[in-house]
Amino acid sequence: MGFSLTGTHVIFFIASVIIAGAVSGVFIAVTTNVSTSLSDKGDRVQDQLDTDFTIINDPNNIPTSGSDYLFYLKNIGGKKLATTNETFQLLIDGDIVATANYNFTDSSIQPSEYTTIYVEETLSAGDHKLKIVGPQAIEDEFTFNI
Amino acid sequence: MGFSLAAAAAIIGVSTLIVVGTAVENILPTMIDTNESYDDMKNRASDQVQTDINITSVITPSNGSNYDLNFTVYNTGSVVLETSYFNILINGTVQQFTSTGSYLYPENEVYFNVTNLPGAGTRILKVTTDNGISDYYEYTIV
Repeated sequence: MGFSLTGTHVIFFIASVIIAGAVSGVFIAVTTNVSTSLSDKGDRVQDQLDTDFTIINDPNNIPTSGSDYLFYLKNIGGKKLATTNETFQLLIDGDIVATANYNFTDSSIQPSEYTTIYVEETLSAGDHKLKIVGPQAIEDEFTFNI
Repeated sequence: MGFSLAAAAAIIGVSTLIVVGTAVENILPTMIDTNESYDDMKNRASDQVQTDINITSVITPSNGSNYDLNFTVYNTGSVVLETSYFNILINGTVQQFTSTGSYLYPENEVYFNVTNLPGAGTRILKVTTDNGISDYYEYTIV
């Protein structure tokens, strides 16, 4: 009878330790995941706040080079901008420009610097709208006349 | 029974401390960095609002069959501007230039010089500051 009581206590003790351990494990795992996600989200927000750019062309005088139109992109944000076909997407009058049809003269630009985008598109005379979507979906719109 | 409860409470207590430590260690630096980025963005926006320039005194002396362009940019805003990061466009095309000062202080002016430009007739000059604020000036080569 005495052994049964002790045995019961031991079983209760082991069970409670196992349950507490399991609860703690889940608790730690979930909190670690949530805090890592929050940290990642914070990094993305930080990137969004640091990223800003603008098109500095004269809207009535878009220069050309062969069949390419030249657009000047200036980094007015607080961090270096990677200027590649993967980081920037171009839309002209709402239609996306194929990545093969534009390229940058520089692979990156520091704050206050500019780069030239060569865009190979056939545009009719008149008004057009260029939308540039950059890293973290930061965008700039530029209305120009050909 | 009481000992089991104490052991379980101790395990959960220790895990709570670990969780709080992990959360603070991960989230606090992110919050500090994000706050700094927000302050930087606020300062940039504030600088842009307080930046303004005016192009004045444009002259176009001839240089052989071409011409030079000399003009003054007056800082009518309240932000110090770095002239090496200015962009000068003539009829839409970026031009290389020299200036008499590295910084353009509020209520001051700096002279800019672009040499050996081709063409004749009316031209549009656009000057963009380091933070993206612009001014236009139309001139005619005589």
